[in-house]
Amino acid sequence: MHPDAATFERVLTRAIGAADYADAFYERRVVRSFRFQDGRVHDAGINVTSGVGIRVIAGDRSGYAFSDDLSEGALLETARVAALIAHDGGARTAAVHLPASPQRRAALYAAPDGRTRAESATYVDLLARADVAARALDPRVRAVNAFVTDELQEVTIATSEGRFVRDVRPLVALGVQCVAQGNVRGTGFYGDGRRAGIDFFRERTPEEIAREAARVACVNCDAIETPAGEMEVVVGAGSGGVLLHEAVGHGLEGDFNRQGTSLYSGRIGERVASELVTIYDDGDLPGERGSLTVDDEGTPGQHKTLVENGILRGYMHDRHSAAALGASSTGSGRRQSYRVMPQPRMCNTFMPDGGSTYEEIVGSVKRGIFAASFAGGQVEISKGDFVFMLAEGYLIEDGKLTAPLRGASLTGNGPEVMNRVTMVGNDGRLAGRYYTCGKGGQYVPVGVGMPTVKLSSVTVGGSGVA
Amino acid sequence: MLEDPALAPNVELARAVVGFALESGAAAAEATFTVSDRFSTEARADRIEKLEQSIARSVTLRVFRNGGKASLTTSDLAPDSLRSFARETVEAAGFVASDPHAGLPDAVEAPADERDLELYAPDVRARAAEDKLADALELERVARHVDSRIVNSTGSRVVDETLAIALANSLGFAGAYRASQAQIGTGPIAEAGGAKYSAQYGSAARSYAALEPVERVAITAAKRAVGAIGARKPATMRCPVIFDRDVASLVLSDLFAAVSAANVAAGNSFLATKTGERIGSELATIVDDGRLPRGLGTSPFDAEGVPTRRTVVFERGVLRTFLYDSYYARRLGAATTGNASGGSIGPNNFYLEAGARTLAELIAATPRGVFVIDTIGFSTESVTGTYSRGARGFLIEGGEIAHAIDEFTIANTLPEMLAGIDAVANDLIFDQPIVAPSFRVAEMTVSGA
Repeated sequence: MHPDAATFERVLTRAIGAADYADAFYERRVVRSFRFQDGRVHDAGINVTSGVGIRVIAGDRSGYAFSDDLSEGALLETARVAALIAHDGGARTAAVHLPASPQRRAALYAAPDGRTRAESATYVDLLARADVAARALDPRVRAVNAFVTDELQEVTIATSEGRFVRDVRPLVALGVQCVAQGNVRGTGFYGDGRRAGIDFFRERTPEEIAREAARVACVNCDAIETPAGEMEVVVGAGSGGVLLHEAVGHGLEGDFNRQGTSLYSGRIGERVASELVTIYDDGDLPGERGSLTVDDEGTPGQHKTLVENGILRGYMHDRHSAAALGASSTGSGRRQSYRVMPQPRMCNTFMPDGGSTYEEIVGSVKRGIFAASFAGGQVEISKGDFVFMLAEGYLIEDGKLTAPLRGASLTGNGPEVMNRVTMVGNDGRLAGRYYTCGKGGQYVPVGVGMPTVKLSSVTVGGSGVA
Repeated sequence: MLEDPALAPNVELARAVVGFALESGAAAAEATFTVSDRFSTEARADRIEKLEQSIARSVTLRVFRNGGKASLTTSDLAPDSLRSFARETVEAAGFVASDPHAGLPDAVEAPADERDLELYAPDVRARAAEDKLADALELERVARHVDSRIVNSTGSRVVDETLAIALANSLGFAGAYRASQAQIGTGPIAEAGGAKYSAQYGSAARSYAALEPVERVAITAAKRAVGAIGARKPATMRCPVIFDRDVASLVLSDLFAAVSAANVAAGNSFLATKTGERIGSELATIVDDGRLPRGLGTSPFDAEGVPTRRTVVFERGVLRTFLYDSYYARRLGAATTGNASGGSIGPNNFYLEAGARTLAELIAATPRGVFVIDTIGFSTESVTGTYSRGARGFLIEGGEIAHAIDEFTIANTLPEMLAGIDAVANDLIFDQPIVAPSFRVAEMTVSGA
């Protein structure tokens, strides 16, 4: 079923023709999921993704085709279609050669054997425990939805340059959404997950996750309308890393910089943020949601310094953007599945600790907003304008958190806001909440993290006029 | 229902998968076999940068056993694999709680009419690849010649797809149809004063012939990019907001979530108990129509094989019904509206009915307000209907566009926005399943400086 080295060699030899580079990406991914609603198991699902994608690069042109039929005949035809972009003609003399079997780098995550899977009862038990814990936290909790997903993705990457690499990637997630009824209806969502098997939820219990979702829903029951306008904002540790991901990270992805469409294009070595700001992206952390032993082009995951003391140090590259800009791939080539080309993407993006305490930072704000956690965000790459939606937020009055806020969002311009970082906490951590990043219609798991950070002025979007 | 004999093998595969599920002990099953033949190209400057072409096949199976349900989606169509995953899906259904409402539709139903839905246009497959590449290059060329400040782009795209969908279930339903879709679009970037201003504009239809002309798409996109130059942050204020039709469509998407019976049943909709009540203004007539010829949300039957139909959801502001599949219809004591989609509830052509005035007239009739042409973010909260988005567009003063604005948010609640619709334009185009003409909301909070 899995094509062997000789098949990949023939397919890649057909694909490359007179082009510069060709690669094949084999994927088999099985995702099992269960969903809980109204106190019982609501449904179960299995999702199987299986096929091969073939890419051909000639200069700045990329051709792509895929096949869910793994027979050699189908793969050769797929190679022919992918090669249409390099229609300059002229056959290459040398055939592609690969090692006899794919190489495995020492994995960042324990990869269970593809044939073993947990008993369905294991998933059901996790969800039932989450449901009970959420309802037990507070009588205001009215509805609980919970889901668990358990994924195993096996990939093999073969390239015309002779790279032949395999990776087996586990990924689990458990999420709980609660609706609580108080003065207003409040919702809370919380979830966690890692590149690990389902046993991860023995240490990180469903009860912990569910209680956090229920706590946020109950907080939001007393939420008031968010005042609108510019004010001081403190971004909470952990999930505040969404700020780095949106306000800076996307603009440093290699494809936008190859094309010159990012506001950070051509600015390496320039000041792009306050000198308190350092940002890393790391695909090489054991077991984190955004970690990759190798990326989807077979390049090992790496630790990258993106911004150092406010100075732009480097971009995140896949093979294509690296070649165009005379750089090396940073192990950032990722894709949603074999049906799409890889793009430069973030892995785990975070900021190291600074020198202030949480108490000093919040205590320094006379009137502002505390963004405890973000539900998500979005950025426009060229000008750098972003929006973040708060999952949990509070008014700060005289250095203390007061009323919870609903419907709050932050908006501004990436470099402008990063220049307004005036305090950085000593409490940095990766968010204990999982995020999925969407770009060009492709969704991949990522990690984010940050210490508590103070921004001297940001536009807060809400419906209350202060 | 099976009109196209060429699709008979597709129906056979769907039937075979239903058979695998029944062999494994399912009480009932439904399988859909989808084949998508997709072409996509992207040009930048004077070069074709991307060319993608593939046929994607997938099977979706839903099974029911002892009142529990489970589903499978797979691109591995090897018979052994289909059989073994079908068995595993049936086993998983055994772990799902028994639910008296779970199951296939109550009966096989005939469509309401014999109308030709015109879903398949031969020009999508017939158009030569060279002509599609030429269109992508022409989009780039025209967009970059509109103004000297347009110096770059995120690319110009020509994308098309033909679909063959076959569905069979253990009630004896079997049906299949073809559909096609073509799309063109471009993303020019203007540069001025050290800043980059991007814009996007595109056109989509069932056929190439029905698309907006390439030149008009490119010019519209280019004018948007240039129009954004010099944008500044508006003052924080409450004022009328005019939503351009693309962002108006996004507001309708948020509203769709609130009328979906799945959210209503889960207590996740601010409309949950409001049937029969006046929610919107007189101008808010909102319809879900699965039988609109050539509509991008049109199909002969939904994901459960239930014939599509036309459903008035809001009639002059009054909430008439939610949108159902057969499961939520049984659970909430209603009838399915033919909105089953991907295991949940989805739109057919869900739209706000057009008004009589032009967008220019709406702007001219606004003494002071904001005209929004783009929003970012996705924070609408369907439990309370709280709406907040990052936005960019133009400040309107004295009925005229004063200047470009960005880095602000607009906020209100969906019920107040529906009630506040005080003008609807005549520019409704069915270029995606959820659409709206441009409309004005009497008052929203604009957060800026």
